[in-house]
Amino acid sequence: MLVLLFILFGGLAIGCAINVVAQRNPLYCAISLIGVFMSLACLYLMLAAPFIAAVQIIVYAGAIMVLVVFVIMLLNVEQEEKRRIRTGFLVPVAVVLAGLLIGEVAFVLWSVDPNPTLQSSDIGLTSSIGAALFTSYLLPFEITSILLLMAIVGAMTLARRTDVLSPEARVIPGAQVLALSDIDPRASHDVQTPIITDSSAEAAALLGLAGKRDQSKRD
Amino acid sequence: MDLQTVIEIVLRFVAITVVFTVVLMIVAYTVLAERRILGLIQGRLGPNRVGYGGLLQPFADLLKFILKEDIVPDKSTRFIYFLAPVIATMAALMAMIVYPFGPEVHLPWIGEIPLVVAHFDVGLLYVLGVTSVGVYGIALAGWSSNNKYSLMGGLRSSAQMISYELALGLSLIGPILLTGTLDLSKIVETQSRWHGGGWLILFTPLSFIVYLIAAIAETNRVPFDLPEAETELVAGFHTEYSAMKFALFFMAEYINMFTVSMLATTVFLGGWNVPFAEDIFGRGSFLFALVSVIGFLAKIIFFLFLYIWIRGTLPRFRFDQLMNFGWKFLLPVALLSIFITATLIFLNVI
Repeated sequence: MLVLLFILFGGLAIGCAINVVAQRNPLYCAISLIGVFMSLACLYLMLAAPFIAAVQIIVYAGAIMVLVVFVIMLLNVEQEEKRRIRTGFLVPVAVVLAGLLIGEVAFVLWSVDPNPTLQSSDIGLTSSIGAALFTSYLLPFEITSILLLMAIVGAMTLARRTDVLSPEARVIPGAQVLALSDIDPRASHDVQTPIITDSSAEAAALLGLAGKRDQSKRD
Repeated sequence: MDLQTVIEIVLRFVAITVVFTVVLMIVAYTVLAERRILGLIQGRLGPNRVGYGGLLQPFADLLKFILKEDIVPDKSTRFIYFLAPVIATMAALMAMIVYPFGPEVHLPWIGEIPLVVAHFDVGLLYVLGVTSVGVYGIALAGWSSNNKYSLMGGLRSSAQMISYELALGLSLIGPILLTGTLDLSKIVETQSRWHGGGWLILFTPLSFIVYLIAAIAETNRVPFDLPEAETELVAGFHTEYSAMKFALFFMAEYINMFTVSMLATTVFLGGWNVPFAEDIFGRGSFLFALVSVIGFLAKIIFFLFLYIWIRGTLPRFRFDQLMNFGWKFLLPVALLSIFITATLIFLNVI
């Protein structure tokens, strides 16, 4: 029974993984990748690690891949055209790397104990993971948290370019942020006015600014 | 495979079938109840012609959905267009199997039967994970329809569900802290002290309120039904869907309503615990199980009624209001609630 399920989910994972590489449409690739994550979650479940399985689904399938699909949808990436492979030099590198990977897998298969002694089965339970995470692995855990925090702060710094608009300017979702190349806020008569508009043109009119783009059109 | 395993598997399938049938029946009648109650709120009658008081209306609707022409937009992405409603419905139904519907019951000849389909050590996380997969159904439906209104609806729903999932997850931390487990059955068991009245809502009322609001947003219901705002987006992500595919989306929404109501009942309102039922009927008896299941369903139906009531009362949010509310109000409140609960536990007050 367990072997059958393993073959099912293992095969599904491999099939989806091949599909990720083989598909041309990026959205199909993303969906295949979700399939890989789901199959892996089922495999974790069979290894008596329900917590890892649930986290795999919540974090990878539920959050990260939603973001990927979101971006693909937003940018509306068209199907990649069939074109000549220009990166021909990568082929021998790929062969070498594949050989390395097969060698590694062979080494692991050779070195692993075929009859493992049964360890305690509560190793994958939530409480044991939590205990380990907050005692023996506290430092790596905290470092990872700080790394994530840095990423968030970095994203926010990139997102709110205060040098483009005056610090008082408010931009509501859906409104367009004015690019520095379009409008120079220093030329404005009134930089303190909050900008709550739906388009760059409207905001420029409110600020009493003539956009460079408009000027070029007039020229 | 020995006989025991086969019986076990067959029993599981029977349990899944029973649970799905019961849930889908309740869902079908929730739709009818919604239409009748909305009629009541708005001073009109609602559908009351098919069967006594409109009781056969769900079946008439189902027949209509099956027999209608299935229109597929010309330039849609076919495969994903077909896949989206399947994902939505499947994700909604999958969450159903981990909830304990009642206590274990001793039956003659058969033995002890737990009234839960799958006993799962991390049931709460499983529910959150499966719910978060449901967003693909809506997002992909919006994208594959090749319609700007659908796409807008899909994008809105992705943003909304990601935002409110955080508040939803954080609001469940309080109960997890109090019970010390992610197992839904154990969470319910913990609440059976004080003669079955030790519901967690008494200990973390703030978490409950945050959960209730976030749950409405998760199910895309009024006042958070931005993905299908009729006045702006025609019908949002399912504009291009017709016949049974539309019905699947419709069903998924109501099943999701049922699921979040079930989670609210299980985690905050004591699950199947009915006050003093255990003292009267005794544990393991058939009557106790029956009363517990009825109590469980009654609490769920209360939540469903609440959703319909809210729909009949409140206007829709604007999109920026929705985002501001989720990130700048609900999330901090959820964190505050965790802080309060943790402090009270640390001080041994609760």
